[in-house]
Amino acid sequence: MTQRDPVCGMEIEPQSAFAKREHMGQTFYFCSQSCVDQFDALTPFPSPSGRGEGGEGMTSATTGFNPQMTLTRIELPVSGPPLKEHSTHLEETLRAVDGVDEVKVNLTAGRLEVQYDAGKVDVARLVGAVKSIGFQVGGANVKIGIENLRCASCVKFIEDELKSTQGVLNATVNIATQEATVDYLPQKTTLSQLNAAIETWGYKPRPATSDAPVDKQEEAHAREYRRLMNKFWFATAVSLPVLATAYYQFVPFLRGLSMDTLRVLWGLTALLTLPVMFWSGSDFFTGTWAAFKHRSANMNTLIALGTGAAWLYSTFAILFPSFFPEGTSEPFYDVVAVVIALVVLGQALELRAKGQSSSAIKKLLGLQAKTARVIRDGEEMDLPVEEVLVGDVIQVRPGEKIPVDGVIVEGSSAVDESMLTGESLPASKKQGDEVIGATINKTGAFKFRATKVGKDTALAQIVKMVQDAQNSKAPIARLADTISGYFVPIVMILAVWTFVIWFVVGPQPQLVYALVTSVTVLIIACPCALGLATPMSLMVGIGKGAEHGILIRSGEALQTARAIRTVVLDKTGTITKGKPELTDVVVSDQSSVISEELLRLAASVEKVSEHPLAQAILEGAQARKLELAEVKDFEAIPGHGVSAMVEGRSVLIGNLKLMNRERITLGPLEERSKLLADDGKTPMFIALDGKAAGIVAVADTVKEDSAEAIKTLHSLGIEVVMITGDNRRTAEAIAKKVGISKVLAEVLPEDKSNEVKKLQTEHAARNIAKHPRGTQHVVAMVGDGINDAPALAQADVGLAIGTGTDVAIEASDITLIKGSLKGVVTAIEVSRATMTNIYQNLVGAFFYNVLGIPIAMGMLFPFLGLLLSPLIAGAAMAFSSVTVVGNANRLRGFKPTIQ
Amino acid sequence: MFFAAKQSLVAWEIASHSTLAMTNDKEHNMPNLQIFAILSGIVLTILIAWYFWFAPKAQTRVAVSESGAQEVAITVKGGYTPDVIVVQKGRPVRLTFTRQESSACSEKVLFPDFNQNALLPEGEQVTLEFTPDKAGEYGFQCQMGMLRGKLIVE
Repeated sequence: MTQRDPVCGMEIEPQSAFAKREHMGQTFYFCSQSCVDQFDALTPFPSPSGRGEGGEGMTSATTGFNPQMTLTRIELPVSGPPLKEHSTHLEETLRAVDGVDEVKVNLTAGRLEVQYDAGKVDVARLVGAVKSIGFQVGGANVKIGIENLRCASCVKFIEDELKSTQGVLNATVNIATQEATVDYLPQKTTLSQLNAAIETWGYKPRPATSDAPVDKQEEAHAREYRRLMNKFWFATAVSLPVLATAYYQFVPFLRGLSMDTLRVLWGLTALLTLPVMFWSGSDFFTGTWAAFKHRSANMNTLIALGTGAAWLYSTFAILFPSFFPEGTSEPFYDVVAVVIALVVLGQALELRAKGQSSSAIKKLLGLQAKTARVIRDGEEMDLPVEEVLVGDVIQVRPGEKIPVDGVIVEGSSAVDESMLTGESLPASKKQGDEVIGATINKTGAFKFRATKVGKDTALAQIVKMVQDAQNSKAPIARLADTISGYFVPIVMILAVWTFVIWFVVGPQPQLVYALVTSVTVLIIACPCALGLATPMSLMVGIGKGAEHGILIRSGEALQTARAIRTVVLDKTGTITKGKPELTDVVVSDQSSVISEELLRLAASVEKVSEHPLAQAILEGAQARKLELAEVKDFEAIPGHGVSAMVEGRSVLIGNLKLMNRERITLGPLEERSKLLADDGKTPMFIALDGKAAGIVAVADTVKEDSAEAIKTLHSLGIEVVMITGDNRRTAEAIAKKVGISKVLAEVLPEDKSNEVKKLQTEHAARNIAKHPRGTQHVVAMVGDGINDAPALAQADVGLAIGTGTDVAIEASDITLIKGSLKGVVTAIEVSRATMTNIYQNLVGAFFYNVLGIPIAMGMLFPFLGLLLSPLIAGAAMAFSSVTVVGNANRLRGFKPTIQ
Repeated sequence: MFFAAKQSLVAWEIASHSTLAMTNDKEHNMPNLQIFAILSGIVLTILIAWYFWFAPKAQTRVAVSESGAQEVAITVKGGYTPDVIVVQKGRPVRLTFTRQESSACSEKVLFPDFNQNALLPEGEQVTLEFTPDKAGEYGFQCQMGMLRGKLIVE
């Protein structure tokens, strides 16, 4: 027996039905998902307590539900494996949970509707069941800080209170961090309701420490800075008396003391320096041990060995002076305390300087709106932007920031997108247009539906891309990595031989000289400066690029971009706007109409046409504020043009072929049209009442700043090549306008990458002839990222001209989110500035070590009698890495030559 | 301080006689100590080179879990434990880092060859997941390369 689908009316076999539903004692069968979804939408679960979730037994008799049962209904957004294939599995799993009464999966909305007995099962159980088969339950997660949470037993009360708040999936309170973590459904509850739940127990909620990684990191840095500064001040406080006893000859009260009294004082400083070593300098010793277990050694090892050796020698010397030659039993506790103080201070300063280098990311994140005015169930509410869901309708008023990405559903406005696209004029937006989060609504109010939220928004993607690039590696860092892999053990070996040589051939007292020089070697060596050199500059440089709308994908791209020698520019959309515009209106000498009238008539006809060139004419007329007329008898003649009647006149618009077909004498107009074509324009003849009346010409016009950008590229010594599929005449015309001499015209889209390859090999051959071991000739390609993707990938550096939203253009090494060619110049300048900075850092760090270590070994002693004090070595080491970070921060002052 | 320490040659000779008296012949007394120092230097050099460069490192082989991923937990404290990790190619690798120190050095872990990186807040578990599809040895490290580990893909 067949059944009729109640939605579409189709006859179906119950066995082969897509789904079935029990409703009011009847069984319904459905042919498809959309039918069942429609049915479900019309017949919601009969909620026992009206709209509420309370679950009181107030069920209407018509629904057929047992009124004694305390049923609760909940909607859970689910995500994970494709719902379509797994919906039965999901339904069955949930039905198996004791207390679950009914389950519906709404595929189109991605929602799971569950009706359950709140007395038998709670939401957390349901969520657990959904998760157990690999699905995730959507919803928001929020952390709320709780002030003065001290009693451990209150934790449970607050947790229970939160859990019993409607819409809360799970809640945990952490007494250590004084924070509640709540998973909840933003449709059902708001942050203020959660706060209210906490307040019922007499606690004051506060915004939790931000979850944004940047803020978290900043907070961790601030904590670490305080920790280091505490250690520094302690070490400094101890250093003062230790220094006084070490240089007793120069201190009035100590000068006169006997050796024995001094020895007692030294013993006291020995004890004083112990906490300096094991508290202020604890990181060095624990770090050394941890590294040692892994058969590796690092900066910690050097400091720990240096200070440790100084302390042990000193202690041995004052305990057993008889073992030492007269006058050599003096201690070096000052080295221990002062070096640790200085190195800890260096670390603290380095940390502070590092904080500044992430400012670019902070600026980007600062663009994000904090709240959104969401309309749910007809009610407007201000929600934190994190709570906005895909599909929410959001109201935006003039002057407000657009919180997330979406599509306008009501109203229109002008939106300032300059922060993302660089377009200085506000873009006009109407219903159906896309809006981007973080841009600013200027004039009108509108409503839009969120399409991308959280980490999917254009802004979040930009931030992610910049962060990834900042943490990537430039090839140049590999050298530093290789060196630093061997660095520390080599320094240790050098320290050993410094000791041996001073001991064997040094002047009296050998033991003291040997010990001091080898300790100095250990302390002055600084692998950190070498390791920091590249990543710090890369971080600042890539961040600086992002500030100017240039997204550099990796350190490698940045390094290659520095050496760009040839830039290949795609014509359409890169040099030009990529959209035809009306450029000329020519009126025939024989015609009586004026040019405005001619354009008005042409535009009236083209208003009906769908041709892209027609759009240009129409916009041209609108820009001149011309009133368009009614059109009759419109006819498109394929390959020729259009004809129509306007205000009683017959209008013909089209090419030479059309004019010839209609036997219209063009006269001097034909010559004019050739001139226009030579100029790279597309001319169209207009005939009125069978007589030639004039020409309108449209062209893909050059972006205002293209010529300037190309001129700057030339001045940087870069060869500029234009590539296009257009005919040579049009291409040459554009090239002349922007000052490009080398043009590759009539190149099929698929051949663009071959042309780039040809340029690469050509230059490579010439380059090898010129400098056999010289630098590579880097060819960059600038294009739109979609049609030009193969060419972008083929080039050594591919620069994609983006439009603000599509930042993750795979083929490109660099994305220019501001559609201007100036970005190419700025990208090259940023990479040059960053690479120069990296070289400065590397060379500086390298020479610091290459000069510092031999001086510490005493190389200058035989000639000048100069030896380096270990205290000065400690200061030098501490500030070498601060210098590297400081130098990298100089890049923050980078300014592009053309704005 | 040691710049100021001016010793007399005589004092040193007397001292060496009294404490280290090995022979009456001064000419032979000094070289013995010196030879000892040189020999110690050679031994130490060999020890350092062997320990840090030539001795084989312990490797941690990662078992494949039921879900098909190769999971390993790594503690970050002065170094990565374990620091040499052997995985199979073509299977997802799930590395869970827990940083147990506040030193800012180790706040990030980078896998430059896989373009993976993560911020490691102190005490929090942070998971990195990717699939190595080419055999080889890939380093991982903190931002400035003080802590290092190696991922060996077989």
